[in-house]
Amino acid sequence: MKYTSSRRAFCISSAILSLAAVVPGLPGLAQAADETIKLGIVAPMSGPNARYGAFSMRGAELAVKDINAVGGVDGRKIELFNADSQGTPVEGVSATRRLIDEDEVNYIIGDVSSSVTLAMQPVAEDAGVLLLNAASSNPKITYGAGVGGYKWTFRNYPTDENRAFVVAKYAAEQRGFSKFAVLSVDSDYGRSAIEFTKKYLPEFKGEILSEDYYKEGEVDFRSVLAKIRDNGAQAIIMYGLADTTPIVARQMVEIGLAGKVTLVGNGEFNTEKTIKSAPTALEGAVEAAAWLPAFDSPESKAFVEKFTTEYNEAPNNHAYVHWDTVNLLAKAIHEAGSADREKVRDALSKIKYKSPVGDVTFDDHNQARLPMILLQIENGKPSVKGAYTADIQYPAQ
Amino acid sequence: MFSTILEQIVNGIVTGSVYAIVAVGMTMIFGVLRAINFAHGEYYMLGTFGAWFSIDYLGLSYEASIVVGVLSTIVVAYVVGKLVMQRMVGAPAESGVLATLGIALVLQNTVILVFGGGYKFFSGGYIEPVSILGFSLAQQRILILVVCLLVFVGLELMVTYSRMGKSMRAVSQNVDCCEVVGIDVPQVVLRTFILGAALAALSGVLTAPVNVSVYGGMGELITFKTLPIIIMGGLGNVRGTFFAAMILGIAESLVATYVGLQFRDTVGFATLILMLMWRPHGLFSTQARF
Amino acid sequence: MSLTETAQQIRRRDLRIPLGAVLLVIALAAPFIGSRYVTHSLIIALIFMLPAHGLNLLVGYTGLLSLAQAAFFGIGAYTAGLLAVTYGTPFYVNLLAAGLVAGAIALPLGIPALRLRSTSFVMCTLGFVIIGQAIAKNWISVTRGDMGLSSIPKPHFALGPLSFTVSGTMGFYYLALAIGVLATLAVWAIVRSPAGRNMIAIRENETLAESVGIPTWRYKLIVFMISAVFAGVGGSVYAHYLTVVSPLTFQMYYSTTMLIIVLGGGAGTISGVVFGSLLFVGLTEALRITPELRMIAYGLCLLALVFWFRKGFSPLINRFWDTVGGAK
Repeated sequence: MKYTSSRRAFCISSAILSLAAVVPGLPGLAQAADETIKLGIVAPMSGPNARYGAFSMRGAELAVKDINAVGGVDGRKIELFNADSQGTPVEGVSATRRLIDEDEVNYIIGDVSSSVTLAMQPVAEDAGVLLLNAASSNPKITYGAGVGGYKWTFRNYPTDENRAFVVAKYAAEQRGFSKFAVLSVDSDYGRSAIEFTKKYLPEFKGEILSEDYYKEGEVDFRSVLAKIRDNGAQAIIMYGLADTTPIVARQMVEIGLAGKVTLVGNGEFNTEKTIKSAPTALEGAVEAAAWLPAFDSPESKAFVEKFTTEYNEAPNNHAYVHWDTVNLLAKAIHEAGSADREKVRDALSKIKYKSPVGDVTFDDHNQARLPMILLQIENGKPSVKGAYTADIQYPAQ
Repeated sequence: MFSTILEQIVNGIVTGSVYAIVAVGMTMIFGVLRAINFAHGEYYMLGTFGAWFSIDYLGLSYEASIVVGVLSTIVVAYVVGKLVMQRMVGAPAESGVLATLGIALVLQNTVILVFGGGYKFFSGGYIEPVSILGFSLAQQRILILVVCLLVFVGLELMVTYSRMGKSMRAVSQNVDCCEVVGIDVPQVVLRTFILGAALAALSGVLTAPVNVSVYGGMGELITFKTLPIIIMGGLGNVRGTFFAAMILGIAESLVATYVGLQFRDTVGFATLILMLMWRPHGLFSTQARF
Repeated sequence: MSLTETAQQIRRRDLRIPLGAVLLVIALAAPFIGSRYVTHSLIIALIFMLPAHGLNLLVGYTGLLSLAQAAFFGIGAYTAGLLAVTYGTPFYVNLLAAGLVAGAIALPLGIPALRLRSTSFVMCTLGFVIIGQAIAKNWISVTRGDMGLSSIPKPHFALGPLSFTVSGTMGFYYLALAIGVLATLAVWAIVRSPAGRNMIAIRENETLAESVGIPTWRYKLIVFMISAVFAGVGGSVYAHYLTVVSPLTFQMYYSTTMLIIVLGGGAGTISGVVFGSLLFVGLTEALRITPELRMIAYGLCLLALVFWFRKGFSPLINRFWDTVGGAK
């Protein structure tokens, strides 16, 4: 008995090990024509973070499908490879290595989580593979890119500084708020947006009465909202996660804050589903977003429609930025006139790309100068109040 | 000041009710199997997904979706129970940890594969607020509180008087003796497991309207919340679990109000460690299992 | 096990030494055989092997199921990262400091935790990970909070006039291999010492061990600290390899990964841990061919492990080793 079970053990284990040894070799056999553009996507696709990664993948997939449907970029089709990062640096780096060495991709878009992106940067740099980031907001990513060191990293995502400034200015000057409560996500995104808010708020004579950060997946905000109700804040500064906004909004209704305290910040306040979940709480909310589904431009409208029919769910910001970044890359390859990585990189740094929301250019830190759209929810619909593009001030080296 | 504290305590009790319903299933499973079920939160997630699916795709009402959510979880729990949990009788603790982690991965990622990984919004339930004693609460939270009390009264009665309850207690005390006197141990394990999973699913469906966001990985967090509760309650102790859940719920609310929301998730384990220093066998005697 | 079985055996040809040499050659030649991706995967395996060795001393030799490894791994990673970024200290200093700090922190944590038994101990150790993450997130003046540490420099060695930087995957592989081999030898020395036998006695029957005069409490505490040292060293290698440390280093995922390595390879054997870390990394990387099904398949593998290989792969390795060694 013991004998047979260990023989079985031997067979299975050697099968696994040989699979591990053989598998990396497989993609090499199926090498496609040289003319294809190999693009890898690194995103969390399993575990709790999959709820953001799934949208990223779908956005990128849709863009690739559309580009290939019209014959690719100057006749070159895009081949998409996806790799799971699980939102952890170790897995993200493994995924990146695999994409570079086994799938031999020339371009990588990723990751959602900042710490994963930071770990991917040196790997991409080492291999001379173009790393486009479309969803991480940690300022260090661009501080270290371009003239900061990593020549191969580009970020097509707005910085928190610009966002925080625009929101603070609008909330104070146009809405006349001066007492704020902070309720943001406990991540580099939420924390750094608040750091920047604190930097600019004194200029507008605003003060922060309370400061709370929620962990990802938090569902109970009643305690904090009750505190905010009692401390007399006029607005809640929330740099939060898309799927948490409806929870906070509903609990604002529950606790009697709806209509009395306004949400300002970012966290997909403007999508139809979010507003529907608690219309009274979101009325008047102010958000600075890179994009919104209701944005009035034909390309954006077409994207929303295609995404919804394709996947049977409405796109979110992550879907859009990844869709947009694939298109940006395609434009850069077109302008470079070849799929040569170095030429594409140079084309990217000089590009003037017309995204659905406005013009995009890159600064010397390879950070996109993106229009930040400021919107306010009026009568249950987002109403665009302006678009701001600002240069980023980098800390002295 | 006083009314704020009182309000937070009420909040805590509602939160505690959610934890209690999930944790009691976990603790009962521990009672009969001596295994920590790291996959327990996944049944909470499955129940929520079942309900979400029946509302968004089948167009059912919220009441019907509760039934669908719980029943679909029972089916999954039956399969898992038959294939895995029954074999865990008498297995060492490490096996239990690995097996339940494996189940958690399979369930979580199968749901992601089938329904897509993106978050969904739950749209049913009674979310209109009502005012009680000057506090404003969603009706759904009152429903959760009532259901929690009913569940615990029901479990107390079942464990004390019914044949199944008695056999559960017997199995939790001595598996070998149960076999001697003719109690079908695997059967008891399966039933306890299904009951625990169904309760987790019920908790998930009941909280979905106030928690809104539905996604494949949501179960993990609830597993981590309930782990300290079952230890504090005295593993396998139904009544202890109830009080431990309430204590944790209230403690979390107070910490979120007076210390900061960012420390909320730490409360459970911090309380647990402090308590273990003082009473290594849980707040409530482990002698009185169930 | 091998202690008793190797006593009287009719020897055929003993191929263990040649085999060991072959394995060593394979290990040394690996970066030349496989691609950079394979080398990278081996580095990950070597990094996880370090805390797994420590955990094996706890689980396999002393019988304590602990989930605290991720906490000490994180402490090590933060210690090394902070030293390197703030003071620019060399790699070997960070490595030692990471191990020492992790071990020192394990002492006050271990004293109360080790009074607990079975499930309570498991949960208490899991609590260390959760609380560690909260500290890393909120003690911003020291840990820089959620911003984490990035751009941790590559290992740099300066010996008098000689100085070189380990850059590139291949260089790092040899560094990790050297550390891995040293760690494995250290575990071997611990296990083979009289202390190791006492540890096994505690695992088999704590009360009996106590009655024959083994200071079980002191042993458990020391082993807990040693396991933390291994985890801390692993964390420092991790920090220097990935160049990034964030509060998410403290997560249950790492604890369970290390547990899977130890139990999968076979608790209580050194070769099991080495094999387990290769198997674990091999499996998770091989499953990347189906990104969608990857974690489902991984979960099923865990179940297969529980049902078919309760003792991990160690019986298999032992049998193979005995055959090679010439035993009948």
